[in-house]
Amino acid sequence: MGLDKLRTTLKNKEHILELKTPIIGASGTYGYNDEFEDFVDFNYFGAISTKGMTLEKRLGNDGERIFEVQGGMINRIGLENVGIEAFVKEKLPVLKSKKIDFILNIAGNTIEDYKQIAHIAQQNDIKAIEVNVSCPNVKTGCLEFGLNSEGLFGLTKEVRKEYDGFLIVKLSPNTSDIKLLAKAVEDAGADAISAVNTLRGLGIKIDFDGEKFYKKSVKGGLSGPCIKPVALYMVEEIRSAVNIPIIGMGGISKLVDLFEFISAGADAFQIGTANFINPSICSDLAYELDDFMVKNNFKDFEELKRKIREA
Amino acid sequence: MDKIKNDFTGEIINIEKIAKDTCKMDIFSSLKQAYAGQFISILCPNKTLRRPFSISNLDNNIITILFKLKGEGTEYLAGLEKKDKVKFLAPLGHGFQIKNKKALLVGAGIGIAPMLFLKKNLEKEHIENYFITGFKSKDETIEGSDETVIGGSVLDNLENIIKEKNIEIIYSCGPVPVLKGVCEISEKHNIDCQVAMEKVMACSIGVCRGCVINLKKNNEIIRASVCKDGPVFEGKEILWD
Ligand SMILES: Cc1cc2nc3c(=O)[nH]c(=O)nc-3n(C[C@H](O)[C@H](O)[C@H](O)COP(=O)(O)OP(=O)(O)OC[C@H]3O[C@@H](n4cnc5c(N)ncnc54)[C@H](O)[C@@H]3O)c2cc1C
Ligand SMILES: Cc1cc2nc3c(=O)[nH]c(=O)nc-3n(C[C@H](O)[C@H](O)[C@H](O)COP(=O)(O)O)c2cc1C
Ligand code: FES
Repeated sequence: MGLDKLRTTLKNKEHILELKTPIIGASGTYGYNDEFEDFVDFNYFGAISTKGMTLEKRLGNDGERIFEVQGGMINRIGLENVGIEAFVKEKLPVLKSKKIDFILNIAGNTIEDYKQIAHIAQQNDIKAIEVNVSCPNVKTGCLEFGLNSEGLFGLTKEVRKEYDGFLIVKLSPNTSDIKLLAKAVEDAGADAISAVNTLRGLGIKIDFDGEKFYKKSVKGGLSGPCIKPVALYMVEEIRSAVNIPIIGMGGISKLVDLFEFISAGADAFQIGTANFINPSICSDLAYELDDFMVKNNFKDFEELKRKIREA
Repeated sequence: MDKIKNDFTGEIINIEKIAKDTCKMDIFSSLKQAYAGQFISILCPNKTLRRPFSISNLDNNIITILFKLKGEGTEYLAGLEKKDKVKFLAPLGHGFQIKNKKALLVGAGIGIAPMLFLKKNLEKEHIENYFITGFKSKDETIEGSDETVIGGSVLDNLENIIKEKNIEIIYSCGPVPVLKGVCEISEKHNIDCQVAMEKVMACSIGVCRGCVINLKKNNEIIRASVCKDGPVFEGKEILWD
């Protein structure tokens, strides 16, 4: 597709993930990828991370799920998904036949859940999985693993045993020491870290009709441009603690955001909330990045990263 | 790079105030076809998320929307002028399924917007219909219906109309209490009913699951997205909160 300069290889020992471009659609903002075709051109995507998949089908949360805030949004979808079995039966064949590169994002309540999904991913020759240990929207489960390094080490190790493809662990920014978590993940055998998931947030809207106040509120995960400084901070912390590749995300919506994430230590990117504003943002960014590199004579993405990090 | 289907840039060819806090906007674009009940979602650069609006008419590549001033998004739109450009995704969702049955159209408040388009389509197909709207006050009233209720509830007279005019199907759009009432009345009279729902949206194209409502189908509860599976649903399938 003519974007040869953007070829990206994420590598940890013998595990390799080849990406057409370093730009990946973030989990939860593309569904299962097969529904998005009217709106995007997948040729410019490195990959797309699926909606978080659990062992059993989940209905997600009742009530309002979206709350807009200045520079971002709060969501409490609650991991609504079809369940891994239905995914394998109904969605996987579509993705494979359309040759859409994807990363299976997974979540669970217990270590056993994660192991079973990882096993199914292995059996179905899924090239990469992203383990969500950090969803702020469900009451039990993945949240706890994401917040302490022993739990995270154990979880990653068990998943590694079941799965021999490219293993990405996605970290939560809702922690006091992300370096410890990152180190635990690397030590347990993960091939890459993606960061960050959404921040915990509370949106409140108070209306007054002249007599009475009315309140609307949504508690959930904050995403979008407003979280970028936190995400950059986290990526830089992680970079200082580990050597494995980092997939950076959090508020990316324009070309210079990519440069900032590279500078903090990211090797590839995910784009989430910005898709809701511009459904073709991923291909637009890939295109702009390529254009920038051609115009300024960068040989490849590796050279671009090196030059940015020298700054 | 291939242009994305469904992603349009249009030019405002007319914008005017038509009632208290209510504007009408005509947008010229390459969109040629849409069904009543479908919507467009407009980019408001001052907001994170797009804003969804029902298509109130589409004729010769001109989309009409009617909108009520609510907050920063609609204020931005109201501030636009002739010749300004707007970016939007369209046509989104599934609209009303037109049946060859004597129809009652119920539009409450700004819910009149898609009903005007529906009425036009019914008339094109020579389907007999009666259109009732309701508004909070006289200065908020928008024209175009056969009967307008001001102040009271649009629901009050529905049963009489159904009996008098031998109505076989109701189509409706408006706030939840009205839609719920319409569904109850149609159930009582054992007639079909389709309602257009609203929910705060993020992606507006069916992928984020932010706008779901509960439906009951074959005794099972399922989540349906308002933006893609809807916004129009069979009244009897909706599980009200
Ligand atoms: C399918 C659909 C069709 C609609 N058609 C019309 C129409 O024809 N005319 C009209 O006036 N209004 C329509 N609306 C409602 C309209 O989208 C909201 O009034 C508008 O988004 C408010 O934006 P704001 O920034 O001015 O107000 P805000 O201050 O942001 O919000 C005011 C209220 O509007 C609603 N709202 C806010 N953001 C969104 C969003 N992203 N998606 C949906 N609702 C939101 C919420 O209930 C909120 O409390 C429709 C909504 C939907 C879902
Ligand atoms: C509506 C929505 C749903 C999400 N669902 C998931 C999910 O299922 N699994 C996951 O790992 N992250 C999920 N995320 C988090 C995003 O993948 C991403 O980490 C986060 O939104 C930050 O990036 P952004 O600022 O570009 O959106 C979701 C985010 C949003 C906005
Ligand atoms: S708004 Fe995303 S699914 Fe409807």
